[in-house]
Amino acid sequence: MSVLRRSTLLFVTVMVLLPAAAADRLTVVSWGGAYVKSQMLGFILPYEEVSGTTVDVLEYTGGIDEVRSQVRSWNVRWDVVDMELFDAQRACRENLLMPFDHDTLPPAPDGTPAREDFIEGSLLRCGIGNVVAATVVAYDQDRIEQPPQSIEDFFDVQRFPGRRGLRRSPKVNLEWALIADGVPREEVYRVLNTDEGVERAFRVLSRIKPWVDWWRSGEEAIRLLETGRVSMTSVFNGRVFDAVQRGENFAILWDHQVWFMDVWVIPRNGRRTEQAADFIRFATNTESLARQMRHIPYGPVRRSALERIDPEIRRQLPTAAENTATAIEGDAEWWAANLDRLTGRFERWLERPVMVPRELPN
Amino acid sequence: MTLLVALQAQAEVDEVALLKEQLEALQQRLEDLERRLDGSGRTPAQSMRTPESRFETELLDQAVTGAERVEEAQVAAIDEPAPIRFGGALRFNHFLREDVSDSRTRRGDSGFDLFRLNVDGEIREIILSAEYRYSPSMDVIRHGWIGYRFADDSMVKLGIHRVPFGLLPFASHNFWDGVPFYAGFSDNHDLGVAYQRSDGPWDFHLAFYKNEELGSAGTLARYAPDVVRQGEQQNEEINRFNARAAYTLGRDTGCEHELGVSGQRADLVNATTDSRGNHWALAGHLDSRCGRWNLQIQGIRYVYDPDNPAGVSNDSVRLGAFGTSFDLAARGKLAVANLAYNFALRDSWLDQVICYNNYSRLFKDVGAGRDSELNTVGCGIGAGPLFAYVDLIFARNMLFFGDGSMADSDDDRWRGRLNINLGYYW
Repeated sequence: MSVLRRSTLLFVTVMVLLPAAAADRLTVVSWGGAYVKSQMLGFILPYEEVSGTTVDVLEYTGGIDEVRSQVRSWNVRWDVVDMELFDAQRACRENLLMPFDHDTLPPAPDGTPAREDFIEGSLLRCGIGNVVAATVVAYDQDRIEQPPQSIEDFFDVQRFPGRRGLRRSPKVNLEWALIADGVPREEVYRVLNTDEGVERAFRVLSRIKPWVDWWRSGEEAIRLLETGRVSMTSVFNGRVFDAVQRGENFAILWDHQVWFMDVWVIPRNGRRTEQAADFIRFATNTESLARQMRHIPYGPVRRSALERIDPEIRRQLPTAAENTATAIEGDAEWWAANLDRLTGRFERWLERPVMVPRELPN
Repeated sequence: MTLLVALQAQAEVDEVALLKEQLEALQQRLEDLERRLDGSGRTPAQSMRTPESRFETELLDQAVTGAERVEEAQVAAIDEPAPIRFGGALRFNHFLREDVSDSRTRRGDSGFDLFRLNVDGEIREIILSAEYRYSPSMDVIRHGWIGYRFADDSMVKLGIHRVPFGLLPFASHNFWDGVPFYAGFSDNHDLGVAYQRSDGPWDFHLAFYKNEELGSAGTLARYAPDVVRQGEQQNEEINRFNARAAYTLGRDTGCEHELGVSGQRADLVNATTDSRGNHWALAGHLDSRCGRWNLQIQGIRYVYDPDNPAGVSNDSVRLGAFGTSFDLAARGKLAVANLAYNFALRDSWLDQVICYNNYSRLFKDVGAGRDSELNTVGCGIGAGPLFAYVDLIFARNMLFFGDGSMADSDDDRWRGRLNINLGYYW
């Protein structure tokens, strides 16, 4: 056999084997901490067991920049991404995501078709909802002298002294700032839709800015509370549950919780899109969601999964009746349209210190 | 036909039974898996209600495959600053002196002010910081030191660094600075060793300086004033000890008040008499940052007691900097009162507008000289890498304003200067 023929044979063999090897791995990108732990136990490890696929789990802190970069360069390393709803909508509009065929989703155990089993708004053209989570205020009952009763208290550093933790993002912060300034929750997005409304929200945030430590991931928020760096912080409700299980004496202020949905999406131009869809079908089946909810109190997007949740955990869901009296539904459409603009402004606002800096250029 | 239907029905029943079997096996495998993760045979829900076991954590760590750790390492590498960083500045100055007629006629003068290069870095716990400055009047190293950071975050510095005395880092907000700077009690850099540490709200500095930073007390091209040997004044400051303690009330809140005391003591060697006098200074200071306001108050008492030869006055000492020399009353008190406000900016291309009024005064305890005063009202305006100081400076009997002097002179007229300094900082 000539060298050329042997090389050709070797090349063909490698080309045939490589995709087969690659097909046994899947890269899933999610949020880390207690949340990814619930996903690991809920369906990622079981999926590995069932499918024989090794799932590499990466953490990120949201946004669509990385997905955009990978898709546009046709160098897609992320097979499945857990996105916040407004990011998924933005990415879908930018044609960065694969459309998802809802008819391929498995029905509920009682045979109810998936389209009827999933809650309203959770089946997107480019993604499948997985959990409903909420941003809430949490505080350490062992450290705080006077627990806050409302979002207004969070913004009142005179009556409720101590540092605050807030997510480094305009999302939720602007809504809460307006609530603290007296805007009714039904009016929040209407007010934010005006320049004056945005200005008003930033003015309120400026009042507490010197007291704020900014976090990027839910884990950081919990760490701020655990170490006593802040007296209260905004945080995803599931992270508080996890910290309480570890023995922390944290409590949640449900007043004006902002709830939102997370969505599984598949970036375009990937090499394992079929396998990614298979993973999503498994991750969003009734059993997987119910199993995940044993480990984190986020609301499942399937009605059939909700029925299987322990009543004790069900009471801690953002969707529990006692927690929704003043809840705000995060307006994903509005954020999808305004996030880029407001993030730029938010970052500039953040860079400008409120206090006179100790050192000016010299 | 009936048989066929029956067989088909039986096959479906068998298939359902087989599927059920597979499902049960699958569920059993999942439960085994969960039990393995739990490590104690409890149900997952039970296990989550107790502190997480190490075994479970380890299993999860293993489950989150190597790819994640690689990515984390990459992220860390991106987030961490480079070990050695370079910076600098290029500045231009425009000024109009109201007491100089040709300056008024020309509507002021503009020119190059400064080119600055900075090197900063930290490799392991060893820190480096250096700054070189070139300006028409001098060509100097402003600071250059090597430091070591201890595990408790305290630090020791060796080299030319800022003397820990009084308000830090500056006793003013403006470009022209205040009287303490010209008297050598603010933003002064000397050669020595310093130790600094913070314990909660407390901040401590201890330092020893062998001598002024250049190793030659005759050199006038220096960043900040030091006692220099010029003309009949042949004094030099050596072996200086500094101590500074400050306590911050309301630390990490939006309203911080740093209260502090500083002291220094040095020998004053006279090259003509070859004998030693001494120098000491004490300061009390308040730096209050509350919301957008900043109030700085400082009082300094100082004494230079030189051992001059007969015929040379002991009422003043000679200082040198910026390529020139000038005299300072040998005994005196300094007062500083600065107020600044950081304006809230709407969605603007400007990043920073800080306006201030800085007042400082030298009360002379010896000689017949009138007190020296300096008042600057102005704003610092920042946009991206650009930063401009727009200052209206009024001075009475002050160095660089008419015949004013910080020693024995009696210029009682307030003189003004408009100073605009524009810099690109990187």
